[in-house]
Amino acid sequence: MEIEVTHREQVTIVAIVGSVDGLTAGELSQSFREQVRGGYVRIVGDWSGVEYTSSAGLRALLETVKEARQRGGDLRLAAVQPDVLRVLELAGFTGILKLFPDIEAAVGSFRS
Amino acid sequence: MKVEFHGEARLENLGSVREFVAGACRQAGADSSFCFDLKSAVDEACTNIILHGYREREPGSLDVCFEEDAERMVVTITDRGRSFAPGEIPAPDLSSPWRERAAGGLGWHLIRKMVDEVEYQADGEKGNRLILVKRRNSGGRL
Repeated sequence: MEIEVTHREQVTIVAIVGSVDGLTAGELSQSFREQVRGGYVRIVGDWSGVEYTSSAGLRALLETVKEARQRGGDLRLAAVQPDVLRVLELAGFTGILKLFPDIEAAVGSFRS
Repeated sequence: MKVEFHGEARLENLGSVREFVAGACRQAGADSSFCFDLKSAVDEACTNIILHGYREREPGSLDVCFEEDAERMVVTITDRGRSFAPGEIPAPDLSSPWRERAAGGLGWHLIRKMVDEVEYQADGEKGNRLILVKRRNSGGRL
């Protein structure tokens, strides 16, 4: 799994490529935590390159969305692929996370 | 067809286990969605074994056996870690608001959703066996 963090407007984009599983989810949590605790609480997760996520990845998302919202921000996901979307749906995460078809829409959602 | 994967119960091996299951599943003629579900269930089960079954122990064996016939695919995962009672793991509350949402129990919830049958046999001598069954006609997604 690779993580790339970029900033656009006042939004932090965390792009993930690869699989988020029991081995890699800790690194993802750590990366999200650094952003949120550094004051970057408006986060878009670019999920276009995520081919797999397990419940360990869901745990990282849940921790981050809670912490970001408690600080006045949010974690929103862009371009979630169909298989990974199914995991989010089965876990009931589509009811608590805001999903967008692409990065532009997700970044733009923080403007309104 | 029957194929086997033998490895150590380490998180570093999860990717290889997923590749093994997905590859065997494709070879057995299932579509990518079906194979994704099966490999997800196996990955969640193996993660539990690695993190909980072998907690505070040296990583032991983790063996995955894939078998298939005209009706179904069966994955048997054998380990020599601590046994547990899958039936006692509570189902997560998926309707609670985000503030109260907990991540506990999600792995087992996904396993139950991704396959059709789950059987567990605890055995200190021969090893614990978790048997996951996915029927070929259950591949369609709603």
